[in-house]
Amino acid sequence: MKKKSTAFKTLLIDFLLASYLVLCIDSFIFTRHTMENGIDWASFGVVLLIGLILGLILNRVSKLSIGKMFLKEYDTSKARGIGQKPYAILGLVILAVTFYVGVLVTELSFYEFFSQAGIQGATRIFTALLNPNFEVLDQGILAVIETIYMAFIATAFSLPFAFLLSFFAARNLMNASGFGLTVYYVIRFFLNVSRSIEPLVWAIIFSVWVGIGPFAGMLALMIHSVSSLAKLYSEQIENISEGPLEAMTATGAHPIQVIWYGVVPQVILPFLSFTIYRWDINVRMATVIGLVGGGGIGTLLMQFQGLARWNEVGLLIIIIAAVVWLMDFLSSKIRESIK
Amino acid sequence: MENLFKLDKLEKTYPNGVRALKGVSFDVNKGEFLVIIGLSGSGKSTMLRCLNRIHEPTGGDLQFKGKSVVSLKGRELRQYRSKIGMIFQHFNLVPRKSVLENVLTGTLSRTSIFKSVFNMYSDADRQKALELIEVVGLKGKEMHRADNLSGGQQQRVSIARALMQDPEVLLADEPVASLDPATSHSVMEYLRKIQQQYGITVICNLHFLSLVREYGTRVVALKGGEKMFEGSPSEIDEDWFKRIYGEQAVEVTIN
Repeated sequence: MKKKSTAFKTLLIDFLLASYLVLCIDSFIFTRHTMENGIDWASFGVVLLIGLILGLILNRVSKLSIGKMFLKEYDTSKARGIGQKPYAILGLVILAVTFYVGVLVTELSFYEFFSQAGIQGATRIFTALLNPNFEVLDQGILAVIETIYMAFIATAFSLPFAFLLSFFAARNLMNASGFGLTVYYVIRFFLNVSRSIEPLVWAIIFSVWVGIGPFAGMLALMIHSVSSLAKLYSEQIENISEGPLEAMTATGAHPIQVIWYGVVPQVILPFLSFTIYRWDINVRMATVIGLVGGGGIGTLLMQFQGLARWNEVGLLIIIIAAVVWLMDFLSSKIRESIK
Repeated sequence: MENLFKLDKLEKTYPNGVRALKGVSFDVNKGEFLVIIGLSGSGKSTMLRCLNRIHEPTGGDLQFKGKSVVSLKGRELRQYRSKIGMIFQHFNLVPRKSVLENVLTGTLSRTSIFKSVFNMYSDADRQKALELIEVVGLKGKEMHRADNLSGGQQQRVSIARALMQDPEVLLADEPVASLDPATSHSVMEYLRKIQQQYGITVICNLHFLSLVREYGTRVVALKGGEKMFEGSPSEIDEDWFKRIYGEQAVEVTIN
């Protein structure tokens, strides 16, 4: 049974990789297709069919199965060097093709980079940026203060939620019963989903919900911080030593007391360290979130950029760099001292 | 002799299918110093943990003072556990907490959740904790961080923690396996003191037969999850030793 499912998995991997290879060669190397033409679903079907046949050949006949390599089906104990691992060479070919296609898709162009007009534009903007307009200093400082507090409140509000959730998202605390494991999987699922949505997207959603401004930015950062912190916290809980937990259980303590004495003392400092680091991250993210209407210095930056007032933009960039550097320095100092 | 524990064909099968206990039956009498011996993996630790139900027995029956305890739940189970102190090979103290705070965790079963979260222990409990710290010879170290003490000192903190429960039984899971020989004897002396002066029954897993002969009043040997010997320490001769530990085994002593 196990053997069969492994064979199927290796075949699936080979099929997908072969199809990918055929697709790359067909659309980007043969026909020099670019993204504008849309997708021709009929020829995509043909590609899949060729991929299936090629995958079958790679998997069954040749020694070029990457699927088998991943699932450790090949005996590599006697292979000396890459020459005796043909499948590894195929892997390198796929990597090279991906690199080539990547260059085509990103429209890499040395001409654009070094053209006369391009250089002139760069000179203009750099000159302006290097001559910052200090008349908007007050405005910039007020905006960056808004950003720092927004990041702080987002971190502070996310902390209790993340703290509580992390215990339910720690496998070693939840695997005692089927019900516990179900709760664990449900919470893990929601954390993964909310974390995979970028704060930028949350900011767009909340700026429609509660209106453009720091509150929308704060909510966006908070959602993302809850899921990131809960994940970091729960991983820390999963790494604790079970001994104190066992000892507390043996004294006849209530499960809440067992957690409070058996788990919390082991994780409290790492938790604090993660939280301070998160504030640091949130200050940087708050700037980006401001670009889509989350308030603070990002929003101000966006306004000046829209008006092409590059001297003012230059000043804001200096302020952002200074604050980010300062936060980074402070948070690493604090985290060092509480180790 | 008053009967304390009665194990009746006790079984434990772990979720991964390992049968750690295959129907073990014996009695534990009040006031004795019972030693459990056997190879690593023979089921000693599992058996000890089944007694206070840190691990759930999966078959058979376990009686404490004539009452079955295998189906206790919630509050009743915690009350039952509080009567049984336990010490461990790796001490299992709460890190970053002081000696006093660690000893006070022995009162958790009778302290409310709210009070224990905010460290609000009663004066009587505090007084008792200080006395017990003195009993185990750690006076002056009350406010030291427990995880900074030496191994022998940590084990004595864990003995004080167990005594804080006012236990009727003390379970000791290889209490000296990570200590040096001199410290081992000092810790074993404290266990004997607990048994003789406080009248607390001690059930102790041990590796060294020399310690078994010196401190044990009775011995149960386990092999592969089954009981294969029960009797007095002096009955374990060369022949029994080889049957318990295998033909290749050579006895080493600890002085």
